[in-house]
Amino acid sequence: MRLNDFIRVAIGILISFLFYTIFSRVSPSFLLLFNVFSLVVFYFAVKKGEIFGSCLGTVCGLFQDYFFSGVYGVAGLSKTISGFLAGYLSKKIDVQTPLRNFFFLIILLSFELILWALLFSFIVPESISTGGGLIFFQPVATAVLGTFAHFLLKKFKKDKY
Amino acid sequence: MPLFLKERKSLTILIALIFFHFLLISMQVPLGEKASIFEKTVFSVFSPVRHGILSFFRSIGNVWNNYFYLRNVQGQNEQMKEQIFYLQQENNLLRNALQKFRSEREIEENLLEMHESILPSRVIGLDPSNFYKSVIINRGTLDGIKKNMVVLDKNGDLVGRIVDAISLKEARVQMITDNESGISVFAEGNRIRGILVGDGEGQCLMRYVLATTTAEEISEGEDVITSGYDRIYPSGIRVGRIVSITTDTSLHKHIVVIPYFDFRYLDQIAVIMKDPQEFFKD
Repeated sequence: MRLNDFIRVAIGILISFLFYTIFSRVSPSFLLLFNVFSLVVFYFAVKKGEIFGSCLGTVCGLFQDYFFSGVYGVAGLSKTISGFLAGYLSKKIDVQTPLRNFFFLIILLSFELILWALLFSFIVPESISTGGGLIFFQPVATAVLGTFAHFLLKKFKKDKY
Repeated sequence: MPLFLKERKSLTILIALIFFHFLLISMQVPLGEKASIFEKTVFSVFSPVRHGILSFFRSIGNVWNNYFYLRNVQGQNEQMKEQIFYLQQENNLLRNALQKFRSEREIEENLLEMHESILPSRVIGLDPSNFYKSVIINRGTLDGIKKNMVVLDKNGDLVGRIVDAISLKEARVQMITDNESGISVFAEGNRIRGILVGDGEGQCLMRYVLATTTAEEISEGEDVITSGYDRIYPSGIRVGRIVSITTDTSLHKHIVVIPYFDFRYLDQIAVIMKDPQEFFKD
């Protein structure tokens, strides 16, 4: 892993951190609708592989747990497994086209959300707040954001070179 | 490296990470709501990062305000905001005191005491399971924060109470909208008493008001204020407004109360730095 990768990962985490900081002030609903930390994990998992994806999943998950002051490890575990899967699956299938990228994200985000909900329900004896059903739109909304971000990044790279 | 060896390596790392997470989770679960040493350590280590980021952005905001937007006016504005903040708290106490029919002198003494015991704080974190359950504030044991200290919003309306000082500079506040909170309250009109509990969705329910209570005794639009009988929240703090009263076959009425504090503007809050028991000395 090169220094550039570290910087890119740090920037990704910082952007997610900023997103959560700013949007938690605007409306908590945004935090239910978009899972930006997951986008960072999947982006780097696709680029660098499953080991990188799972390690970054651990880091981002713990950041998310810290940010929300929850039980440490719940988001970490779900992100580690989904980060691993993202890296592993992206080697087997092409996910570079926008449509494929979109469905790839939806499937992984749904998997991660289900895993997180199961773990949370198992560990914490409380019901999860769905924000009036908003949380069920999280995979789609985050996938749209992720596909758009992916498109912008690709365009930016094309323009650069 | 052969593919099967690489995949084996990946799986080993994944299993190690999963094991690490299970270990991490198991360290916290037995203590339940109370913060573990691990959690306190993590908060102590990482809170400077969060404070740093927030301070950084506040600084950027300040630069913008100070150099591009009427520097002096901004300063005055900040000062006035702070004054309003204290005045609102004082106003709240004044009303409390009036309700108790205390003497003017006692009110003055209370005002002075109250002004000294207000600690302005900022919300820096949320609860993942439910945003209406608890928040983290930027004050901790170093600021003298203790369990059960009362937390108000910038208008002096009740937000909740401190449940745990997690670290030197962070504490957890249980909000009144939490379904595990319980506050002794009464409706202002005829002082009909009840227990206010959160519904976990941003509203509260006033429980144990008998179904036989008439519409003249309690009605929609009435203010709900703390009674002080729970010996945590002092009496007379504004909590919310009754928005609906329904009666079904049960013994008690179903009363929905909208809290006065607005979650969207829950940026600056006030911690009353007084041991709750001191309110009930008399």
